[in-house]
Amino acid sequence: MIRRFSESATPLTVTLLPTIRGVTGMTATRNLSSASVATAGPSPGRGRPGWANAATLRNGLFSGVIGLAVLVLMAAVWEGYKALGQATGDRLLGIPFPVATDDLSMPNVGTILGALVEPARRGDPASLGVYLLGEASVTLREAAYGLVAGSLLGLLLAVVFLHLAPVSRGLMPWLVASQTVPLVAIAPMIVIWGGKAGLPPWMAVTGIAAYLAFFPVTINSLRGLKSPPQVQTEFMRSVGASRGQLLFWLRLPAALPYVFAGLRLAATASVVGAIVGELSAGTGRGIGRSILTFAYYYSNGPEKLYAAVLVAAVTGILFVQVLNLIERFALRNRQTR
Amino acid sequence: MPESGIISVHGVTKEFNSATDRSVTALTDIDLTIAEGEFVSLLGPSGCGKSTLLRILADLTPPTAGTVQVNGKTPAAARRDRDYGMVFQQAGLFEWRSVRRNVELPLQVAGVAKEERRNKASAMLDLVRLEDFASHFPWQLSGGMQQRVAIARALSADPKILFMDEPLGALDEMNREHLQAELLRIWSDTRTTVVFVTHSISEAVFLSSRIVVMSARPGRIAANIDVDLPYPRTAATRTTPEFFEKVTQVRTVLHGMLAAGETS
Repeated sequence: MIRRFSESATPLTVTLLPTIRGVTGMTATRNLSSASVATAGPSPGRGRPGWANAATLRNGLFSGVIGLAVLVLMAAVWEGYKALGQATGDRLLGIPFPVATDDLSMPNVGTILGALVEPARRGDPASLGVYLLGEASVTLREAAYGLVAGSLLGLLLAVVFLHLAPVSRGLMPWLVASQTVPLVAIAPMIVIWGGKAGLPPWMAVTGIAAYLAFFPVTINSLRGLKSPPQVQTEFMRSVGASRGQLLFWLRLPAALPYVFAGLRLAATASVVGAIVGELSAGTGRGIGRSILTFAYYYSNGPEKLYAAVLVAAVTGILFVQVLNLIERFALRNRQTR
Repeated sequence: MPESGIISVHGVTKEFNSATDRSVTALTDIDLTIAEGEFVSLLGPSGCGKSTLLRILADLTPPTAGTVQVNGKTPAAARRDRDYGMVFQQAGLFEWRSVRRNVELPLQVAGVAKEERRNKASAMLDLVRLEDFASHFPWQLSGGMQQRVAIARALSADPKILFMDEPLGALDEMNREHLQAELLRIWSDTRTTVVFVTHSISEAVFLSSRIVVMSARPGRIAANIDVDLPYPRTAATRTTPEFFEKVTQVRTVLHGMLAAGETS
C-alpha cells in the first residue's frame, strides 16, 4: 500500500482530495512520458511551442468557446429541469423529482445573474457582484499564500524523500492519513491554535490552504525527480557532478512538468482549503464567509447563495488559469507533447 | 604501478548478484592495455560483457576483482577529474537546455566561467559541424544530430579519453556510415584515445586501429586484431579488398569463437 502511494501518479491524488468537481475536470493529466528520442528531421518551424503565435491563439479561442458552451449548456439543463418540474408538479410518470423546482430550491438563472448586479445591501451602492469579487479576492490571496507555502513544503518533502528512502516509506502513510482526515475536523483546530498563538484569522486560513496544497505537490514532484532516464543520471556521474549539481541541473528541471501537474491539483485544493478555513474562522472576510452568511439567510434570497457559489467557482478557474500561464512560460522551450 | 598505456586493466572479473545464488559472471580475468591515441573497439556478441567492461573503465560499475587504471589513476579519480568523456547509445540530451547549453554542461559542472564556456561550446559545435544549431533544442534535431551534440558534449571539457557505448547503434545505416566518417575526422582533429563498444564487424574495422574481440559466457578477450588500414579512411576505404579481407578475418575469429562456444 505504502509503495503504491509513493509511486502513484496524479489520478490517485484526485480521488483523495476534496475539490470543486468542475475545476478538477480541467486538470486532466498531460502525457508526461519521460524524454523520448526525437527522430524527425531538423525543422526549426515545426510545432515550436509558441508563447504567442497564431495557432496558439486559435486554440485558446476555441477552448474559450468550449468553456462558454459548457456554461450555457449547464444553464439550459438547469432551466429545462426547472421548467419541466413546474409543468408537471415535480412528478414524472409518478416518480417524484429528486430536487424540488420551486424558486426557493432552484432560483432562475436570470435571477441569480440579476442578483449579481443588484445592490448587496440596502443603502449600499456597490452591487452584489462587486462585493463578492472583493470577498473572493481575499480568499484568493489566502489561497495563493497557502499554495506557495504548501508547494515549497511539498517540494522540500519530495527532495528529502528522494534522498532518504526509509524516511519516505515511514512518513508516507502519515501524509496520506493527513489528507484523508476530514478537513472540517482539522480546520477548527488550526483556527483555535492560531487564535491561541495570537495570529490573525487569515493566517490560520492560509495554513489550512497550505495543508491541502502540499500533498499533490509532494507526490508529483517525487515522481518527477525520479523521472530522468539512466542515460542522463549516468552522464552527470561521468562528468563528476556533485549531488547538488545532479539535483539542480538534472532532477529538478526534469521534474518541472510533474511539479506543475501537482501545482494545478494543489491550486484547486488550496482554494477549497481557504473557503473551508473561512467557514471555521468565525470572523474575517472571504467568499467562504459570504457563502456561510447567505446560507444562513437562505430563505431571504436563495439566489444570493447561488451567486456566491458561482463566484467561488469562477475564482477557482481563474486561479488555475493563472497557474497555466506560468506553466506555459516556464516550459516554453520544451516539446509540446 | 602505472604500466605503459593510458588505460590498463589487470585481472578484472565482474559478477552480478555475486552475493546471491543467482550470480552471473559477466567478465573473467580481463587483461587489457590501451596506448595513448589508439582507437580501440570492443567487439563481440551481445552478452559478452563489452559494455560492462567499458562501464568499469568509466566507474559506472565497480569490478568484482582486479585493478583498473585510467590515465594513471583509479577510474573514480579519472571520472572526477573529467579525464574521459562518455557517449551512450541514447544521446540523453537535456531537453530543457539548448544545444549550446547542453554542450556547456560538463564545463559548468567543472565551474568554468561563462564566457569561456561559451567559446569552448562554440568550438565544439564547429567540430561536429552543428554551429548553426546552437540555439535549437534537442527535440528539434534528428537522431544523428542529437548524437553529434552528445559527442560535442563529451569532448567539451577536453578529456584525454573518449568512451563510446554503441553510440551509433540507434541510427539507420546511412546516418551511421556518415557519422563513422565524422567520428574519424574528430578523432584525428582531437587526438583523443577512443574506446568504442560495438557489435558491428564492419563498423569496428572501419573505425579502429585495434579490435579487441570478446567472447560470451563468461566474457573474456578472445583476440586482439590490429587493423593496419591506413588513415585517413574514407567511404572509398569500405570498397577496397584490404577492407574486405580485414572484415573476413574478424568474422572468422568471431564465428570460430561462437562455434567453439557451442561445442564446449
